[in-house]
Amino acid sequence: MICTFLMCLCFNPASTLPVVSYFGRILVFTAISLLTMAVYCSREELTAKAWWIRTALHLILLEAALLPLAHAWGFWHSGPDVWIYAAFILLAKCMWHLVDYGINAKTASQINEKIRENRLRQR
Amino acid sequence: MKVSVERIGPEREEEVVLRCRDPEAAWVGRVREAASGSRRISAWKDGSLHPLQLSEIYYFEVVDDASFLYTQREVFGCREKLYEFERVAAGSALFRCSKSMILNADKIDYIRPSLSGRFEAVLSNGEKVVVSRKYVAELKRLLGV
Repeated sequence: MICTFLMCLCFNPASTLPVVSYFGRILVFTAISLLTMAVYCSREELTAKAWWIRTALHLILLEAALLPLAHAWGFWHSGPDVWIYAAFILLAKCMWHLVDYGINAKTASQINEKIRENRLRQR
Repeated sequence: MKVSVERIGPEREEEVVLRCRDPEAAWVGRVREAASGSRRISAWKDGSLHPLQLSEIYYFEVVDDASFLYTQREVFGCREKLYEFERVAAGSALFRCSKSMILNADKIDYIRPSLSGRFEAVLSNGEKVVVSRKYVAELKRLLGV
């Protein structure tokens, strides 16, 4: 959403940001995005293959949910715009997974350090 | 070091409480091993009963409503359900790592993250098991992170 405004600023430097309505819309976008996470819910532990399938489904769901809403709010108008906006949604999803992986890598590092320490102590 | 022993009635659960400055000290590990590792669980293989110590178990898994116990090289059947085994293993190094598995933290060589938001634990016998993000906090608590 912030990127949308920055993109507008590139083509129209006189653009202004209506803070209240804009950030209200960000909240709605966030809420809808969180609801789409339900696609990952499962009774059993997901296999790697199942996770990738659900991730692809989640991306489709995200685009299907957010693009029409963004169009209704005037964030995109014509053909080329929709691809740019869809790309932003894809980029945001990729960034989210990368950040998540980074956090997990840090956690794994802490745990492995502790395992090494415990092993040294036991010797 | 002060040692206190309190006799309790049959209605109360037996437990060991350790007060220590360093939860990772070697003597704490030995007492924990003695208190929980000596617990045995009945396992079945080829129609015969094998009592296994909790410390021998690498992980417990439920597949299609059937329970299995995995040691370093062998697989045994088990009659306990997941929540029953979890209760038996309470206080030991065994912790719930996913919806259908209980893993022995002492058998983990190292863990690595995966793109699916979970972790892959490599065990000392070379096997790999998945640890869900939801249960990583328990592993951290067990290891003292």
